[in-house]
Amino acid sequence: MLKLIDIRAGYGNTEVLHGVSLVAEGNVTTAIIGSSGGGKSTLLKVIMGFLRPTSGRLIIDGEDVTHCSEHAFAEHRLKMGLVFQESALFDSLTVAENIGFFPFYREKQPWRKVLPRVREMLDMLGLEGIESKYPAELSGGMRRRVALGRTLIYRPKVLLYDEPTTGLDPTMINIVDEIIREMNEKFKVTSVLVSHDLESVLDVAERVFLMHEGVALDVGEPHQLLTSEDPIVCQFTKSWREHVEMYRRLIHGPEPPARG
Amino acid sequence: MGHILGLFDFLGAVVVYTARTLTYLFTGRLSWRLVARQMEFLGVNTIPLAMMVCAFVGATMSYLLAEELGKRGAANYTGGFLLVALLREFIPVLSGVVMAGKAGSAITSEIGSMKITSQIEALRALSTDPHWFLTAPRIIALLVMLPVVGVFSGFAGFYAGFAMANAKIGISYASYSLYINSFVVANDFFACFIKCLVFGIVVAAVGCYMGYRVEGGAAGVGREVTNSVVVSIVMIFGLDLLLLPILF
Repeated sequence: MLKLIDIRAGYGNTEVLHGVSLVAEGNVTTAIIGSSGGGKSTLLKVIMGFLRPTSGRLIIDGEDVTHCSEHAFAEHRLKMGLVFQESALFDSLTVAENIGFFPFYREKQPWRKVLPRVREMLDMLGLEGIESKYPAELSGGMRRRVALGRTLIYRPKVLLYDEPTTGLDPTMINIVDEIIREMNEKFKVTSVLVSHDLESVLDVAERVFLMHEGVALDVGEPHQLLTSEDPIVCQFTKSWREHVEMYRRLIHGPEPPARG
Repeated sequence: MGHILGLFDFLGAVVVYTARTLTYLFTGRLSWRLVARQMEFLGVNTIPLAMMVCAFVGATMSYLLAEELGKRGAANYTGGFLLVALLREFIPVLSGVVMAGKAGSAITSEIGSMKITSQIEALRALSTDPHWFLTAPRIIALLVMLPVVGVFSGFAGFYAGFAMANAKIGISYASYSLYINSFVVANDFFACFIKCLVFGIVVAAVGCYMGYRVEGGAAGVGREVTNSVVVSIVMIFGLDLLLLPILF
């Protein structure tokens, strides 16, 4: 569904991605993790066509879109939906207008036909009764859900989440994780999750790539974040592993010293 | 060298925005719903302010004209002189300047804020051309609304002028407007209309260009809003001069 082969990209003379290769396909959630400056955001920009790679191949739904025009890419972009980090809802539009943006403005459907779809989406996301509110009146979690609704309304085949849990409280993080799982099951989409939140990744992802200095390292299944002996993985997950160990001790007590 | 390249970049962007907008207009792809929303937000709300400014200037001009012309026994020319000045210069320039301060700054701050909060990228992610959604409706809205604002501010200036002349030298309305037909010709209305159209495009295109240029958060928005107003006002006065030999 989404295949990147040896992608190189950057800004001006600075190359940020030094040959990234990864595959995300089927009804699987793939997580891309990594420290700041590792190239995660740049990778998302390349996938969405906001930034064109200098070399390599980008394949979406079996079609090589690396060199297609902006107009042609706009059509391929419809196969993907991006849920932005800070939601990026349109401030001047109501919740209903945000969710119905694509069918109303892009497909030019009359509002009377769009509104039932919007209400259905609001019900599905547990957001009944807020359709006439503006984004500024919503909580962080509600904004994320509205952003998801705005994307899901056109039924993309690939869902990209950019840091979906950043800045949310633990309860809201669980809700967002649950929504990601639900969307996967309900719409059978390929999900790509870009995140710092390793607990969230462990919770929802089925495959993990670690972005390190512009290269994607295939970690494998999420539990390998805890068990991998790769020095780059160990370095990235070091403090998190220490936290996990600390919680384990708090709950189960210290391990007895080894005998003999 | 950098400044010259920047100037060409700016002029190129203004031309491209206008051309794209006209393309959307003539190919029937323009959203009139979005245009109407911007006409209300950017244009209608500017009318009272532009009327007030034009009324002040009309009254001031009338004060000076009534006094000078009254001394020479030509007080009846006051209304005619004032209307010519309003049509040829004050209506388009003052309406344009007020529009730059109110609507141009609003355009830049809105687009700039949308840029720094990834809303422009969100539009692209939804396969929607930001210029279709943001630039074209604003340019068409100001293109239509600046002449409308001009009509209102013109009336305000002319009648404020009469009120002042009446208060200053006790001139009647019949005398005030007696020589209008001798001074004002149809071309004055046409020139005023053309200037309003040009200034409307300039204010909107500059506002959009500066908005898309915003970088670096709230400080960047503030900086580009200031630039938008300053550049628009300078361009209005510059174009006003350049249009003189063409229109008169």
